[in-house]
Amino acid sequence: MSLSRLILRRVALLALVLVAVSLLTFAIVNILPGDVATAILGESATPADLAALRSRMGLDLPLGTRYLTWIGHMLRGDFGTSLAFNLPVAPILLWRLGNSAILAALVLIISVPCALTLGVVAAVYEGSLLDRFLSLAAVFTFALPEFVIGLVLILVFSILYPVLPGSSLMEPGLNPLSQPLALVLPILVLVLHQLAHLSQITRASMINALGSNYVRAARLKGLPPALVVVKHALRNALAPAIAEVGMNFGYVLGGLVVVETLFSYAGVGQLMVMSVENRDVPTLEATVLVIAVAYGVGNLLADIVSLRLNPRLRS
Amino acid sequence: MTQPLLDIAGLAVSYGTTNRRVPAVRNVSFAIAPGEAYGLIGESGSGKTTIAFAVMGHLNGGRVDAGRILFRDRDILALSPQELASLRGRSIAMVYQDPLSSLNPTLRVGEQVAEGIRHHRGLSHRAAAAEAASLLDQVHLPDPARLMLRYPHELSGGQQQRVVIAMALACRPQLLIMDEPTTGLDVTTEAVILDLVAELRSALGVAILFISHNLGVVRRVCDRIGVLYAGELMEEGRTEKVLQRPRHPYTRSLLRSIPEIGRRSERLASIAGSLPDLTSLPSGCIFHPRCPEARDICASAAPPVEEVEPGHISRCHFARDLPDALAEDTASASMKDLPEGRKPLLRVVDLEMHYVRSRRFGPFGRTIRVPALSGVGIEVAAGETLAIVGESGSGKSTLARCIVGLAAPTGGSIEFEGTPLTATRPRATRRDIQIIFQNPEAALNPFHTVAEIIARPLRLYGLREGPAIRQRVIELLDAVKLGERFSTHYPRELSGGEKQRVSIARAFAAEPRLVICDEPTSALDISVQAALLNELKELQRRYGTSYLFISHDLSVVRHIAERVAVMYLGLILETGPTAEVFQPPHHPYTEALISAVPTVSPVDRGPVLRLQGSVPDPANPPAGCVFHTRCPRKLGRVCETDAPPWRHTSAGRAYACHIPPEDLLALQQQPTTETDRPLPEMEEPHER
Repeated sequence: MSLSRLILRRVALLALVLVAVSLLTFAIVNILPGDVATAILGESATPADLAALRSRMGLDLPLGTRYLTWIGHMLRGDFGTSLAFNLPVAPILLWRLGNSAILAALVLIISVPCALTLGVVAAVYEGSLLDRFLSLAAVFTFALPEFVIGLVLILVFSILYPVLPGSSLMEPGLNPLSQPLALVLPILVLVLHQLAHLSQITRASMINALGSNYVRAARLKGLPPALVVVKHALRNALAPAIAEVGMNFGYVLGGLVVVETLFSYAGVGQLMVMSVENRDVPTLEATVLVIAVAYGVGNLLADIVSLRLNPRLRS
Repeated sequence: MTQPLLDIAGLAVSYGTTNRRVPAVRNVSFAIAPGEAYGLIGESGSGKTTIAFAVMGHLNGGRVDAGRILFRDRDILALSPQELASLRGRSIAMVYQDPLSSLNPTLRVGEQVAEGIRHHRGLSHRAAAAEAASLLDQVHLPDPARLMLRYPHELSGGQQQRVVIAMALACRPQLLIMDEPTTGLDVTTEAVILDLVAELRSALGVAILFISHNLGVVRRVCDRIGVLYAGELMEEGRTEKVLQRPRHPYTRSLLRSIPEIGRRSERLASIAGSLPDLTSLPSGCIFHPRCPEARDICASAAPPVEEVEPGHISRCHFARDLPDALAEDTASASMKDLPEGRKPLLRVVDLEMHYVRSRRFGPFGRTIRVPALSGVGIEVAAGETLAIVGESGSGKSTLARCIVGLAAPTGGSIEFEGTPLTATRPRATRRDIQIIFQNPEAALNPFHTVAEIIARPLRLYGLREGPAIRQRVIELLDAVKLGERFSTHYPRELSGGEKQRVSIARAFAAEPRLVICDEPTSALDISVQAALLNELKELQRRYGTSYLFISHDLSVVRHIAERVAVMYLGLILETGPTAEVFQPPHHPYTEALISAVPTVSPVDRGPVLRLQGSVPDPANPPAGCVFHTRCPRKLGRVCETDAPPWRHTSAGRAYACHIPPEDLLALQQQPTTETDRPLPEMEEPHER
């Protein structure tokens, strides 16, 4: 099967998943107890006012009609109006999506090459002091939740030795790259976690590849050791490592939510937490859907890279 | 001998930790002349692969305790990593047992051949690619230019091994090490690969160190052989001398345990016991506990290396006293005198079965039907053994699964004692038909003891109750030569042969009428195989059980079966009494299968026939005669368009082919113009 057909099929499947997610989101928000109109007007609102608001927001229509109207609007890019900000959701979401993407991209750019290098080195010198130290450090880091690492870093670098800002608050509409110092700590927290996880996976699959018959065959061809490691072993070890990154994309997004909230970084994750707190239903629905899309696309990309690396999966 | 190319002297290699060292190879010495082919044979665990990798300088955790390995007067064990790297792939190259795992799955085949050329010979990418293409052509791979761009998993097993050979030949090495290069391959593919090795050897003058457990394969390739037992060289000499006048009891036992295609004796000689524990070796001669000739001195004194004639040495106290002829084992007299007019116990008529292969997942997929059986008919009489022979993909295992009820046929019928069987069947019928699987590893529950495993059918079918169960289990263990002490063992504590014995005991616990043996010995060592085949015959004689014996190994079939059916792509092409099927005229496919079997006896078996290519995709079987795409005796158009007629040559003997019996007989009895590769004479040393 050709690669493009496979990708097409995966995109179709992704669409199916998104429909399911939208249904679920809609169901959770609308069926669970709690009333949007009450949330907006407060407990002291008169029944007449509540009824008027409900009819204005279309909340008195049947569920099916409301879902179709909502999804129709979403598809046209009309994400509704935020109840908390009293502004259209779309521009807010777009700006924050960009901010989160910048954060995630920087984390990946830094952590992936470092993790691969550490993993390869640990595997090549398996059992050495260096390998054991790296494994221990990785387990330790990974066992600590992000907010603990984040709080420790804030304590050390912003309070005890105030060299870096402990918060990444910024003016709406601003590009986060314009205040790079504020990015250092959030990135550091995420990178440490990614590094711990990914380097150990790379190590495991490298050890596997280095012990394989084809690596032995390459060595016995008389090829130089570095070439054997990079061309023969790493190529095969990358596929499982990258598949793992794809599988853990949801985990990375979870990390973003925690870190953005901790550092008051204006990203999608923080927006989601805020809209839950404010019962800002339109924003919440849009945010969840956007995160679902990001998750699906991230997985798809990881799959495509794995396919490129592993010819066996293609046939 | 001229100056040897490779000279190993007093080599000892051990593995393990300082507390518990396992001496895998001890005091091994032999030499290989330039251009010579030397065979190293032995059972698994004898240390032959350790020696092969030691020559490559790759010890993989092993430690050299003594000895040296001289390659053109340089000690490989003393080389620096850089010197080793320049030797590997350039002067010494290796071909491995499992070609698929030895090829990098993510690199194109061409690149894997070309990279060594670029590295060692400093050629440009373009020149190395051209060279790689010509190498692939030299190993007879079709369309090298296109093949170079494919990945290993896209090739057949035979093609993969050709690529590995091309890779090894890339820099014109002087020594080629082949570690069981044909072990995982079908018998027809094996024959073609061995032909290729012989051809390349005479064309390139490369010396070969050939590792194998199969004496027949070694005979075909090697000038001289060394017999390894538990890490020591027991016998060495010219191939024909060692195989015809073996001077060591171990070699003799090995030879007698091989089912020979040309010889049918009722019992195979098996070697009692198993390889000794390398950490606590027997005193004196290490083979004495298993040796049929052992006397008092064997347990006390290590035998000297005796040169029985020039170039033929043996490590045995009685090397000169052993009788010349291999005594035929006459332990059992004729046993197959079943009464005439047997009624069929099992009758399979026009059985059809197709698998549904789905093209990827879920709602977007579509399915295609892959036929595995396309109208198969067989009959098995009570107390009889019918063998089904064919390459992998012929449908023989599917047939077994349908009969035993593991798969539901999509057409035709199966009758057992005149009653039609469906996939859901009463308990009594299930009891009557038992199966022994190829891989005992996977067929035994790892959490049950041997006694529990064997007792299960007894309880399930209500055959025994209370203490009688235990008694019956012991009876069955004795019947398969295991004994009561095994009853508390778990499968992981058993060797492969012992596990298969437990499987057999479990099958017989149900007191079946028919036992289906699905390649029961193909995963086992040759000496264990002989013992198991004997036991299966013994059980059959005792209980009058019928066997449907599935195998790809014709020599095993020849030994155990009264009748044979030859299968190819879901169809039976030939059927008849075993002795007759092995005589011409036979179907061209049977002919090719027979001529592909390696043998240790030097008798010529008539013209050699080789099958080219691999079995076609069963989803798209060829029209007309299914075999025409590979048939060496193809007539012409008629084979491509018309299904062949059945030709009956004698009672119970028939084959499906367009060629009439008289013509086939004439073709197959032609004077032996091109005989099975004769043993190479003392060739003059290759000049370089």
